[in-house]
Amino acid sequence: METVALYFSSALAVAIPALATGWAQSRIGPAAAATLAEKPEMSVTVVLLIAIPETVAILGFVVSVLILMQGGA
Amino acid sequence: MILEMSCVRVLGPIEQLQPVLGTVQDLGLIHLIEPAKSGPLQPLYLTPEQARHVRGVQRVAKDVHAALALLDQTPPHYGPMAEDFTLPKAALIAGRTRRHLEALRKQRQILEEERAMILKFRPFFSTFRKISESGLDLDTVRVFYLVLREGGEHEVRRVRVALREVLGDGFELMSQPSESGETAMLLAVPAEEGSRAETLLSEAGVQALSLPEKFEGQSVGATVHGMQARLEALPSDLEALDKERTRIANERGRDLAQIQAYVEDHLSTIEAMEKAAVTPRAFVLEGWIPSIAQADFEKRLERSFGDAVEVEALSSEEWSGDTTPVVLRNPRIFRPFEAITTMMPLPKYGTVDPTPFVAIFFPMFFGVTLGDIGYGALLGILSLVFRIRSQPNTTLRSVSEIGLGCSLFTIIFGFLYGELFGDLGHRIGLHPIIFNREEAFFPFLGLALALGVVHIVLGLFIGAVKMFRRNKRHALGRGMAGIMVILIVFALMAAFGMLPERFFTPMVITTLVALPILVIAEGVVAPVELVSTLGNILSYARIMAVGTASVMMAVVANRMTGAFGSVVVGVICALLFHLVNFVLGVFSPTIHMLRLHYVEFFGKFFSPGGSRYQPFRHWSPREDVNHERSG
Repeated sequence: METVALYFSSALAVAIPALATGWAQSRIGPAAAATLAEKPEMSVTVVLLIAIPETVAILGFVVSVLILMQGGA
Repeated sequence: MILEMSCVRVLGPIEQLQPVLGTVQDLGLIHLIEPAKSGPLQPLYLTPEQARHVRGVQRVAKDVHAALALLDQTPPHYGPMAEDFTLPKAALIAGRTRRHLEALRKQRQILEEERAMILKFRPFFSTFRKISESGLDLDTVRVFYLVLREGGEHEVRRVRVALREVLGDGFELMSQPSESGETAMLLAVPAEEGSRAETLLSEAGVQALSLPEKFEGQSVGATVHGMQARLEALPSDLEALDKERTRIANERGRDLAQIQAYVEDHLSTIEAMEKAAVTPRAFVLEGWIPSIAQADFEKRLERSFGDAVEVEALSSEEWSGDTTPVVLRNPRIFRPFEAITTMMPLPKYGTVDPTPFVAIFFPMFFGVTLGDIGYGALLGILSLVFRIRSQPNTTLRSVSEIGLGCSLFTIIFGFLYGELFGDLGHRIGLHPIIFNREEAFFPFLGLALALGVVHIVLGLFIGAVKMFRRNKRHALGRGMAGIMVILIVFALMAAFGMLPERFFTPMVITTLVALPILVIAEGVVAPVELVSTLGNILSYARIMAVGTASVMMAVVANRMTGAFGSVVVGVICALLFHLVNFVLGVFSPTIHMLRLHYVEFFGKFFSPGGSRYQPFRHWSPREDVNHERSG
């Protein structure tokens, strides 16, 4: 049971932030596309804005690995 | 680094203004600015005759730009116009060529529209034979050309039933599916029933195609024959237009290029004249020049005009760094990375050019993330190919050279991780030197965060040094923040047993002592900013996350070879998966490393807002690229 909980919590640790990142990027993406259509020179800002929410997923991944490692999986 | 600039003033007799501007344009060194017009100094107003001339040149510029755009090419630079090539002659050539090309474009547009219209009737071409065989005299009835996008036979039956209800047997409906999946229908009704049939079709939601004007009133056979003939003839008509355009390009391309160079030069001279300030007898030009080129500039003007023209440098008290244009000049090895720096607004004059730091850290972080000999070699080969195929001073050349740097670090870290296309290296006797990324998550995370600490602390210290001259208190705050980050990291390392435990208490006490100094120097928000800085360091965990994802995908690709029963299928799948991983492995670290630089690193010291250095010089087709390089 403990192993199941370990894997489940590890999965949740990466899944929830990944969903949140996806949601955030789904909102940023269309706005970014619209911005680039009018102002192509904004490409760097747009790339940064899209990359910013990924931090959440990446930190989720790190936490997930930490849970697995600490749990001895 | 940002090149040191000097502000210079050129003074001379007003009758020498034009020749001086000519020489200054030949030298192409000075970024002209408008001198403060006070006292006897006035702007240079154009006479009505000069203004008329300017309007003429602008018209020629408009014509030549439009003509070149219609030719869809940028002809190479052929140098200035020949002596006998006057402005009226240039205007005549540019105007005529433009009108000719516009007429060709219009003709092409008409032919393309005709082709698109005929193509709508294409499904009827195949039914034509069937109509001829039916023996139906279609010339005395009204004919509808109908196309059903979907529904097929079922929809045809529905239309037939609806028509029978209204028209009885007084109609002929033929249908045939076309190659594109649509169904072509030809409906013939007595002329007097035409309007009823039209209403019925409209109610049934079936739209009839309108015939092109030239085929209206013709019989079905003649219409379809005519359309087929036009469809066959159209490509050669279009080809004839293209040939004519190519002929014009060959015949007039050189002239247009020369005219373009002439009018652009002329317009920039007029723009330069407008920046001059004059008195009834003298003129004044002011501008920025790289300090290293100042002596040469003065010497050249002295050689050309002797004592008649004077060049003087303004002392730094007379100008502000905010308006100084910025020229980035870095050693050859760092120069490609200016492409990354210049994607952001230029740094202000007197601040720090981050290019050398980007040149070191960007490929290094990329290598730490991808870290694979095989992928590194592939990237190196690709970069080399692009390097050979690209022109100097182009973005592609810069990107290819950045790619070479990244591939070098990828191969180096590939050796350190013992990776060749994932774990394939382990199977052929390659062993990890620092750690195995498949298992060593913590050491990899530690390495990523350590790189983050170095990068961020370096950024803070650069910010402190940069600020030292202007605001010593803020500089102290930046430096203190850097020191506190180091102290906190050491304290954490002691807490987690990576350093002897006895370090913990002194580090914590020192941090607490440093905190009030930080607050005094930077204000009450400083502790919040410090926490944000620690968050920035955590962001470097992405190096580990993206790197681990990449190596795991490579391992999965290698396992595919034995997972499909057939070795051949397995190897093909593995190769495809490696290819996908390689593309992701190049794209993803690039985006993340850019983010780490732009957001985390630049945020600590970078001051955007510098203006681009645009010297007054002769126009060239590569002007934009040159601007990019100089900026």
